Amino acid sequence: MKAALLLCTTLTFAQQLPLATIPPGKTMMVIQPHHDDHTTDYGMGGLIARFTGAGYQSWFIRSSNDEKDGAHGYPHNDMYNLRESEAATKILGMKGVYSLNWRNDYMDAIPLLELRAQIILLIRKHRPDAVLGHDPWGHYDRNPDHRKVARAMAEAVWMAGLANVHPEHLELGLQPHRVPHLFLKARVDYGRGHRPNVAVELNEDQVRRKQKAYVAHRNVYASPGMARSIRAQLQAEGLAVPEFAGKTDDEAAVLIEEWYMDWISRKRGSENGVKYAEVYWQRREFDYLPGLTDYLNANVVNR
Amino acid sequence: MRAILLLLLAVAVQARTVLVVTADAPDFVLAAGGAIAAMAAAGDRVVLVRVTNDDKDSWNLSPEETASRVKGEVERAAKLLGIAQVHSLGYRAGELGGVSPTEIRDRILFYVRLLKPDAMLIPNPYAEYVEVLDRHYTGMAAEEARRIAALANHQPPFAEAGLSTHVVKELFYYAQPFDPRRREAESTATFAPQPKVVDIGSTFDRKLLAAQALQTINYSMAMRIRKRLDDTARRLPLLDVVNEDSVRKLVEINVRKLGEIAARESAYKLAEEFFYSGPDFQVPAKLR
Ligand SMILES: [Zn+2]
Repeated sequence: MKAALLLCTTLTFAQQLPLATIPPGKTMMVIQPHHDDHTTDYGMGGLIARFTGAGYQSWFIRSSNDEKDGAHGYPHNDMYNLRESEAATKILGMKGVYSLNWRNDYMDAIPLLELRAQIILLIRKHRPDAVLGHDPWGHYDRNPDHRKVARAMAEAVWMAGLANVHPEHLELGLQPHRVPHLFLKARVDYGRGHRPNVAVELNEDQVRRKQKAYVAHRNVYASPGMARSIRAQLQAEGLAVPEFAGKTDDEAAVLIEEWYMDWISRKRGSENGVKYAEVYWQRREFDYLPGLTDYLNANVVNR
Repeated sequence: MRAILLLLLAVAVQARTVLVVTADAPDFVLAAGGAIAAMAAAGDRVVLVRVTNDDKDSWNLSPEETASRVKGEVERAAKLLGIAQVHSLGYRAGELGGVSPTEIRDRILFYVRLLKPDAMLIPNPYAEYVEVLDRHYTGMAAEEARRIAALANHQPPFAEAGLSTHVVKELFYYAQPFDPRRREAESTATFAPQPKVVDIGSTFDRKLLAAQALQTINYSMAMRIRKRLDDTARRLPLLDVVNEDSVRKLVEINVRKLGEIAARESAYKLAEEFFYSGPDFQVPAKLR
């Protein structure tokens, strides 16, 4: 029994991830399909807040038009979602949103190289030191846009550094730029397709911003109907949540979503020995050279 | 005399044809060069099909100049490994994501039916490449080509041209060690390819020479590391001067380390890692 307990403890500790540090740099880019992908439960509002808090200028590339997401119908959803995305981006301290406007949930059929070319151009313009996006190898995601953009992003961060790729960009005065650092996310509770290798510790302020940024997407989250049905169910069982007292369904819905983001941040934190965290697959600057990473880490010196 | 004849006969009987498929110039050398050299040294006839033209990865060279130089360098590297023939399909590097997977598959299928290999070495399409996804696309196409080579209803015009169906008995999936979980066995030992570590102690030197022959890409790799370090106020003493010597040394460090990584937890000093599916994997153990 003792041995089993010891084994359990060891396993628990073995699963703790090392804590990531924000790499040195000035510019960061989040490259994703949807208006809310920078603020979901499995990342990356907290990490973005850490980057911007460290002085990074950052931009959000939102590749789709988000027409399907929300209850307002096609053209209206586009507008609501873009506005809310801009609001969430501001809460996280980002500079702005680039909207590529591809058709939501139909991105599987679009030309990969065209999407990639758009991303390469923006990478060359802003020269990010870090890019945040979906893991192209995440399993069970079920969303065609996530897969497509993850793949285009993964190719773009490398190919933007090769002068022979889209040499026409050089006519604009842009230079090749390889993105050195990647932080990739996936729905980590969904199978083994994604294995995070770092935890990003968050402080109170970063968690609060993450909550607010998530809830800013009112077109898709925090619906009063959700709060109403939860309240009705509680009432039927003779239960009540004291925090809901005197609150409208609208306000209660916001509270529920904020709790959810607090809960998931605490859960990832407790799994990794800190109060709050998010988890990622971090790719460092020389991970693309697996035979040279140890040598470079051991022999590179500051000038 | 009789003994020599018998020996020749034995070699002739054992000699196999091996088809290596690669997306780009460095990948087959870095991930499988040692095993390829060993097969060639054992008398196998090894043929390389190279899917892209490697026109992108160079330093201050146009795409045309890059493609032209790398073609010569791949052919030199292949020769050093003992590869008998190189067929370059000429797709533009980094653009396989815009090519029909079926088209790439059928180009490879042609060579499978033409050469009738006993074994194929192909990029592991599941190796979690983040950047160079050409390897993923090529691996998918090659895996499919191997399967449909045996099926007569695929590409009937090939049969008209005399290219009959063919079963490739052995399949090696290769990849550089990007995937952190590459050593995990697949779930069913019977039907799915399994990890296999191959000793390359006796062919390491040839693999290294082949890797060093890829001068255009090696120089580009060194300059990219140098540029990144310059941009971030750092230096690597080895690359204070980037010349033929320092690049060769860098390549040696890389190739040796890749060999050591693959040899981890094995009895070997230098190795390569594959996922392997041979004749044994076609039939469940209890029915064999
Ligand atoms: Zn999404």
